[in-house]
Amino acid sequence: MKHLVLASLFASAIALPAMADYTIIAPANPGGGWDQTARTMQQVMQEDGISPSAQVQNVPGAGGTIGLAQFSSQNKGNPDALIVGGYVMVGAILTNNSPVSLKDVTPIARLTGEYEAIVVPAASDIQDMAGLVAKLKENPGAVSWAGGSAGGTDHIAVGMIAKAAGVDPTKINYIAYSGGGEALAAILGNQVTAGVSSLGEFEAQVKAGTLRLLAVSAPERIEGVDAPTLKESGLDIDLQNWRMVAAAPGLSDEQKAKVTADIEKMAKSENWQKQLSDKGWMDTYLAGPEFDAQLEADVTATQAILKDIGLVK
Amino acid sequence: MSDFRPEPQRRPDWAALVIAVFLALVAGVMLWDSARLADLGGYSGVGPASVPRVVAYCLLGLAGWTALAAFRGDFPEREPQNPSPILWIVAGLAAQLMLLHIAGFSIATGILFAFTARAFGKRNLAMTLPIGIVFAFAVWVIFAKLLMLHLPPGPLEHLFFPGG
Amino acid sequence: MGAFDFLMQGLATAAEPMMLLYALIGVTLGTAVGVLPGIGPALTVALLLPVTYRLDPAGSLIMFAGIYYGGMYGGSTTSILLNTPGESASIITALEGNKMARRGRGGPALATAAIGSFVAGLIATLLLAFLAPSIVQIALKMGPRENFALMVLAFVTVSAALGDSALRGLTSLFLGLALACVGIDQLTGQARLSFGVPELLDGIEVTTMAVAMFAVGEALAIAGTRVQADESVTAVKGSVWMSRKDWARSWKPWLRGTAIGFPIGAMPAGGAEIGTFLSYATEKKLSKHPEEFGNGAIEGVAGPEAANNASAAGTLVPLLTLGLPTSATAAIMLAGFQQFGLQPGPLLFATNPTLVWGLIASLLIANAMLLILNLPLIGLWVKLLTVPKPWLYAGILLFATLGTIGANPSSFELGMLLGFGVLGYVMRLFGYPIAPIVVGLILGPMAEQQLRRALSISQGDWTVLVQSPIAATLLALAALALIVPLILRARGKGQVLTQMAGDED
Repeated sequence: MKHLVLASLFASAIALPAMADYTIIAPANPGGGWDQTARTMQQVMQEDGISPSAQVQNVPGAGGTIGLAQFSSQNKGNPDALIVGGYVMVGAILTNNSPVSLKDVTPIARLTGEYEAIVVPAASDIQDMAGLVAKLKENPGAVSWAGGSAGGTDHIAVGMIAKAAGVDPTKINYIAYSGGGEALAAILGNQVTAGVSSLGEFEAQVKAGTLRLLAVSAPERIEGVDAPTLKESGLDIDLQNWRMVAAAPGLSDEQKAKVTADIEKMAKSENWQKQLSDKGWMDTYLAGPEFDAQLEADVTATQAILKDIGLVK
Repeated sequence: MSDFRPEPQRRPDWAALVIAVFLALVAGVMLWDSARLADLGGYSGVGPASVPRVVAYCLLGLAGWTALAAFRGDFPEREPQNPSPILWIVAGLAAQLMLLHIAGFSIATGILFAFTARAFGKRNLAMTLPIGIVFAFAVWVIFAKLLMLHLPPGPLEHLFFPGG
Repeated sequence: MGAFDFLMQGLATAAEPMMLLYALIGVTLGTAVGVLPGIGPALTVALLLPVTYRLDPAGSLIMFAGIYYGGMYGGSTTSILLNTPGESASIITALEGNKMARRGRGGPALATAAIGSFVAGLIATLLLAFLAPSIVQIALKMGPRENFALMVLAFVTVSAALGDSALRGLTSLFLGLALACVGIDQLTGQARLSFGVPELLDGIEVTTMAVAMFAVGEALAIAGTRVQADESVTAVKGSVWMSRKDWARSWKPWLRGTAIGFPIGAMPAGGAEIGTFLSYATEKKLSKHPEEFGNGAIEGVAGPEAANNASAAGTLVPLLTLGLPTSATAAIMLAGFQQFGLQPGPLLFATNPTLVWGLIASLLIANAMLLILNLPLIGLWVKLLTVPKPWLYAGILLFATLGTIGANPSSFELGMLLGFGVLGYVMRLFGYPIAPIVVGLILGPMAEQQLRRALSISQGDWTVLVQSPIAATLLALAALALIVPLILRARGKGQVLTQMAGDED
């Protein structure tokens, strides 16, 4: 058995590549969402023979902008290089004044995404979104929001809520935590008024009854989730924290089509679908011109809200 | 690194004075940088510039203290140093840094290995260099191929693992 | 079935020969990768996780547990023998452990680390198994102000590692705090001290800094020393094993380290390194041989190592009961669990008892396997010190750079390694202690963020910092730890002034 393990390790390691041999850049440290996406892609691509010796390389830093910059400068015209990214990158490019943007790579497809959820501790006297908005209007400083790092999706969501409710977005009392876990602890421990994070972070707690789910940022109700959308609550917000894969800049149309086909094959595979459901990720696959348009819209909207919050001049 | 000799008593310790100046410089840079930050303290009243400012003032105080200690000769005696081994190691690290992405992990790291060995007395580079490169290559195979760690490949790695 | 039956059932599964073999492979791989400087348990687990995917759930769970423990123990080995801590939690181990190794007592140092880790792992895993739900309720009471108070306490206790000169210790600490300011301010997204260099936006990586300061700085300092010919290394002086006296001096620190490390690991903002700082300070205060601290006191290895391992098990409390990953390692473990269809959360113990108890049993078995594998190997590890210096240090620098390149293959990171290595050398040359600068880099951002969060929630009201009983108690403890030694010294020998002026020796 030990032999088997080692043998299979070895086989996968030294098998000579017959097909595309992708190197997937995860512009983050091991363990985060982008790294997991990249490693899941690697696994599916290896197992399904799309790219038998796909590799993952971590280039962490500054909301993915370091990885993005390195990727776009070092891989011009390289059809075997991929980078994982996501909505957080859109904000990070703006707040960090990154010289490189998503225009400097070739976005291929959106793979998965999560909607934002707004929760309060079960012991809170706030029962619904209207209650929370009322408090916010009364005294924005008294409503403390726990979420991820400044300028990230969670912060943007709070800014959008304030703006939609007619409250000055610069007046929000947003408490940035380093990760979903720490923010969740602050909410569960009744340290803050409300919490904002991706739905998956809160789902188990909501089911267990320790958190009250007020609303989700989806355009329409999500199956199996007992909560109204923000739109239903009178706040016109549709925000998805998506993850995507992009290829190197300067590819020919042929090369781009080949990469897109490989990614589509992966995203439609049973193996990938199983991985998504195991990990609780939503399949929000979107490619081609539709994805490009969506990306464009997201960039414009994000720039506007970051200016309103005061993070981007 | 020059040769430091213990200074006679009651004369300023020039090296320690340099440290004091360095600390003051660090403090100055921090104060300059924090002055440029927008004050986004928000509701806490403690903004992004506050902590760097406090640290900078403490460093200024420590710079003064260091200068005082330098004039009083309070610093411990320093052991005499050999500059050449230090330079060999620094050169090895610098060579690895510059060659890593061009020559690949094995060759770049092999040079570091050989230079370090030289710093510690193994002077024959004709022997240590091949040993270093072979050793680094073995390490590369284990970590890059078996454990899938990304270590930049170069000509040598491509020779044995074409396409990898 | 009660908890105990589940545990027994899990142990029975995990004790099958095949499972033991997986545990052995996991521990071996974990140790092999974990010994590399700069590769801590988080990266070790991330790298080796795919290996476990190829097995059935029970098998992969146990191999995973083995990798985890192996990765942690591997870091201590190099800290002790070569003064090159691979991660922040083993920096304190290097302080005393390496001094022991240099005096030919590397064997007992490794043994007390291994056995201490085992004892702490055992107790902490059992605490995790039976008390997790109640512990987590207490841990959740730790908000920003309580965490800030804890950081203040940690800062005060760090003075234990400041060395013999207040001036040089504080300078080192404040340089660390200055470096800690570099990068994007997490609470406002503002870039501080990064001068438009994108690589600096995420701040200075603690592992790079630690590896540079310890491994590179150490190599430079030893290479530069003129009198090196007559200094022959004594790999083993006396027994490789712990003597009766070593045992007597180790068992209490093990237990105290466990008691300190476990709750701190369970706290959302804990972090294993804080437990090791507090444990070291406690041992120094309680020791009958305080003069040995700084020269290789076995308590200074036993306590922090136990605290490190106990806090790793503590991290699993919020992870398993709430689904909260509170450290990088925990985040990767979460990814690992999901692979086994385990969704950590408040209902996990109720909905998926077989897997949870299987995991706990696996941790127990892997912990024991680590001890069985490593105790006989100590003799071999110690031999590492007899490797001739040119090869030994060439190898250390090779692996130190391998760790840095593997974590982030950027020239900038290697440049930092070189720069901080030279800084580490200069600091050694002038008698500045190394640990405080790294400690400042770790604790600085934590303390700052917690303070600002607490004040933000209270809307600028500073009195909240003492309004919670936990925070007030911790701050009072910190004040006592700061003031009492000063009073004692003033009454004793009137040394306060000398202390203030600079040198004690």
